[in-house]
Amino acid sequence: MSEIAVTDASERLSVLARMVPERISEEAEMLLPELGEIEVIQSRSGLVMLPMRDTVTGTDFHLGEVLVSEAHIRLPGGIEGYGMVTGHDLERAMAMAVIDAALSAGVAVARLTRVIAEEAARQAEQDRETLRAIEATRVDMETF
Amino acid sequence: MAYVATRGGERAIEQAERLYRAQMGEVTPARVAEIERALPSLIDRVMGEASLYAPDLAALALAQSGGDLYEALLLLRAWRSTQPRLQIAAPVTQDRMLTHRRISAAFKDIPGGQILGPTLDYSHRLLATEVVQGETFTPVPVEKAANPAPACHPSLAAWQQAQGLVAAPSLAPVDRDSIPDLTKEPLLFPAKRAHTLQSLARADTGGVLALGYSAMRGYGNAHPTVNELRLSEAEVIVRHPNGTEFSAGRVKTSQAEVVTTKGQGTLRLGFCATLGWNEVKTIAGATLDLNAPGAPKGSPVNEEFFLYHTEPVESSGFCIHFKLPHYVTFQSSLDALRDAKAQRNKTEEPA
Repeated sequence: MSEIAVTDASERLSVLARMVPERISEEAEMLLPELGEIEVIQSRSGLVMLPMRDTVTGTDFHLGEVLVSEAHIRLPGGIEGYGMVTGHDLERAMAMAVIDAALSAGVAVARLTRVIAEEAARQAEQDRETLRAIEATRVDMETF
Repeated sequence: MAYVATRGGERAIEQAERLYRAQMGEVTPARVAEIERALPSLIDRVMGEASLYAPDLAALALAQSGGDLYEALLLLRAWRSTQPRLQIAAPVTQDRMLTHRRISAAFKDIPGGQILGPTLDYSHRLLATEVVQGETFTPVPVEKAANPAPACHPSLAAWQQAQGLVAAPSLAPVDRDSIPDLTKEPLLFPAKRAHTLQSLARADTGGVLALGYSAMRGYGNAHPTVNELRLSEAEVIVRHPNGTEFSAGRVKTSQAEVVTTKGQGTLRLGFCATLGWNEVKTIAGATLDLNAPGAPKGSPVNEEFFLYHTEPVESSGFCIHFKLPHYVTFQSSLDALRDAKAQRNKTEEPA
């Protein structure tokens, strides 16, 4: 399976948030025995307001709210993990928080790094296929 | 207005609700999933007007309301009020969105080129009646290009600003927590631009179209040409408690700029955007934005006129409240009418 190395923390979290639900849940399940008793600080759905910048005057305004699921956990040693994904999927947000906490705690880092690299490659390929379909609609308008 | 509480009819009310819901039958997870899958344009329209991006809930609201758009919006806006606001995301900027469609009717050769994306603009529209005869309509798959399109495209307005064709934005970006928010403060006039654009983003598509169309037909002061129309996916950039920003996922957005040459030596632009892909609303909304400056009070392109009258929950709610009991107010008007008639008859009697 192809891989794309993900070294940036922001990119790593973005890849996790977009990971296939079954895959991220499976990875999180595998981590649980290694992490000890997890304290759930937050597990809830809620809204994130999404602003946009107007291209005419540069004004930032609110486009509308996005339903998200959020999970915030703490490991026995005090290390925290956080997950937020769009949509109502508390399990996926919790799985993301578990993986985030494991990476911060130095648990299964090599395996998780490989999984995230594989997932990054899958997401990049998915985007590439979408963009190939979009490119097929490029038009060169002629005027007479 | 004066209202009076009415009593009675509890059984009739309950049976009326049952009769209404019987039209739709069972609302199952499979039905909701099929609505979400099969009706993306309707889902997008509902999400934009509900001001809530949640495709599965929009599908549920449509299933539960039997497709009554205003009822679906009411359900979604009410549900939204039960949810906590967790964060305000980073502002979406045009040059960072995954662009699916990007066209200009004003400029043929725009930087980055024109991409039709998913559209029927140049297609022959025919009803596929063979489906009601038992056949299946199967769309022909896209023949993908060898190479992908660029994910992001430059803003046409930014290029026009660099060319001196339009005025450059003069505003400095504000802190995201300080952006005016209509869900927390009233709409007052003259409206803040952030309020105007937020109000248009959640406005009723049909209402915006009707008023925008009136401007296009000549009841405005400027005829629009589409400067740039985009359908995109925007990343929802949120904050980890440690401060790292990341994308929690993508949402579909649409935005339109319309342009007029009626400026003082430069082009003038109007703007509108919404959640979901909804071209007609953004073009009509941008036309209203273009025509609003200096519009007389009472004109369809006057800001107060079009923002108040295109709020879907308020306008539909006000409209349908007229079917609820008004017995006292109407009786009072009837009494006044009878009095006036009696008075007139009295004065018309010969001395």
